[in-house]
Amino acid sequence: MSKAGRSLLRLFVWAAGAAACASGTPEREPLRVFAASSLTEAFQEMAAAFETASPDTDVVLVFAGSQALRLQIEQGAQADIFVSANHGHMESLTRGGLVSAERVLAENELVVIVPPDNPAGVESFGDLAKVERLVIGTANVPVGAYTREALRRAETDGGLPGFEAAVMGRVVSEEHNVRLVRAKVELGEADAAIVYRTDAVPGRVRTVQVPPGVNVRARYLIGVVAGAGNPAAAERWVGFVSSPEGRRILSRHGFLSDITTAQ
Amino acid sequence: MTRGRSLTERAPFLAAVPMLLILAVPLVALAGASSPGDLAAGARNPLFGPALWLSTRTTLVSLAVVVLAGTPLAWWMASRPGRRSRIVESLVDLPIVVPPAVMGIALLEAFGRNGLFGPALSSLGLHIPFTTAAVVTAQIVVSAPFYIQASATAFRRVDEDLLIVARTLGHSGSSAFFRVAVPLALPGMVAGAALCWARALGEFGATLLFAGNLPGTTQTMPLAIYTALESDARVAVALSLVLVGASAFLLFPLRTVPALIVRRFGTGNPGGGRPVRGIAGP
Repeated sequence: MSKAGRSLLRLFVWAAGAAACASGTPEREPLRVFAASSLTEAFQEMAAAFETASPDTDVVLVFAGSQALRLQIEQGAQADIFVSANHGHMESLTRGGLVSAERVLAENELVVIVPPDNPAGVESFGDLAKVERLVIGTANVPVGAYTREALRRAETDGGLPGFEAAVMGRVVSEEHNVRLVRAKVELGEADAAIVYRTDAVPGRVRTVQVPPGVNVRARYLIGVVAGAGNPAAAERWVGFVSSPEGRRILSRHGFLSDITTAQ
Repeated sequence: MTRGRSLTERAPFLAAVPMLLILAVPLVALAGASSPGDLAAGARNPLFGPALWLSTRTTLVSLAVVVLAGTPLAWWMASRPGRRSRIVESLVDLPIVVPPAVMGIALLEAFGRNGLFGPALSSLGLHIPFTTAAVVTAQIVVSAPFYIQASATAFRRVDEDLLIVARTLGHSGSSAFFRVAVPLALPGMVAGAALCWARALGEFGATLLFAGNLPGTTQTMPLAIYTALESDARVAVALSLVLVGASAFLLFPLRTVPALIVRRFGTGNPGGGRPVRGIAGP
């Protein structure tokens, strides 16, 4: 055998051994948390705190648009926890018996973000009708649904006739989750985008407020997936996120978690 | 073949079956998952028409650009063996190896608003990202290597003596190229074009990042399928089936045409009737 062949073989043996070690020692039980992508940083911190409290649990976080996570759960993905950024996707899973014990986790609202140099000069929500390139979510991802609702409200309650159509005419891309929407502004490719308040990280983007009468309350719902592989840990996770410590983490990331009444 | 074949005679076929199954089973399952009613619903979905039309237009444009600009490059690569052309060849291959998402980011870094050529382009009033031009650009970048490599391989197989003879008979260099080299290499070029077109039709990652997702403007069939999947999986299945059908419908003639050309013109291009092999390159 050639020298190269031998070292290749050694590499294979090493890789196989490493793979065996990685999969062969399930000391910590995984808890699979499927969460709306806007929760990324908050839940990463939450997972670290949770693992400190329950060292025998390995929290596996999966982030995507709520509609994509819902689809994965419908298709039989192994999940223990589902957090949806809106009511609709959670409801369709609870109606199908795929998720139970859902409750409100936190709330959020919409803002407009623009690149730091604000090339289109967006100073108010009404300016959205004149930007060249606006990026929003698809109609199916919660942030996109809330966006459309806010635009409708601006027209009906905000006294801006024709505003919805004018703004939708400025849309150059509909993205599948809120972080992809934000990325287009961060890259400087979009003049403006509509995201959650918690996604507008100061320094990376500039924020323009959505008027209170127009803005939409985004409500996050958390539930335990039926047939969860780790139901005990799932219950503990639900308890943890609504504990004082969990709420502190959520509010540190800008979520409104002061919810006294579930539903 | 005679009747009563022994196991050893059947071994090649038996060994080939697993791969054939892996390739065929998903598509057969896709076909089985959709009832005619679902298919009709998929075709009536508002995403379907604009996406199919956009995919058709953009892939035809990108194919035309690749053939026009890629043929000279393939010819150059085939006629200049040496270190320089080997380096160029690896460069041409790179988009096949690089993940499409990476190509999308690379395209943004090149032609995006803050990219290398962004300011120059926008001073000319040109904005490529989020436009149909971005869709075409992404398709060209990811699909061109398939055509260029196949054509270069086909050109390499053209007997150099024939070109020399053509020159001695009074043909100019370009005339020898168009009247001798291209007809001889045509089967390989057509097969390469078929693969290139198929790759452009399936392009997803680079398009999503560089061109975005807007019905009618940048939402091609693969993007429409992805978007539909998140609202109604049945529609996505139906759309997928239509895309598979359309691909098969267009790919099949492209596969058979090279063989027809060989029969018609009786070219002496070895392996010309089986041009897929050319893709592997030397």
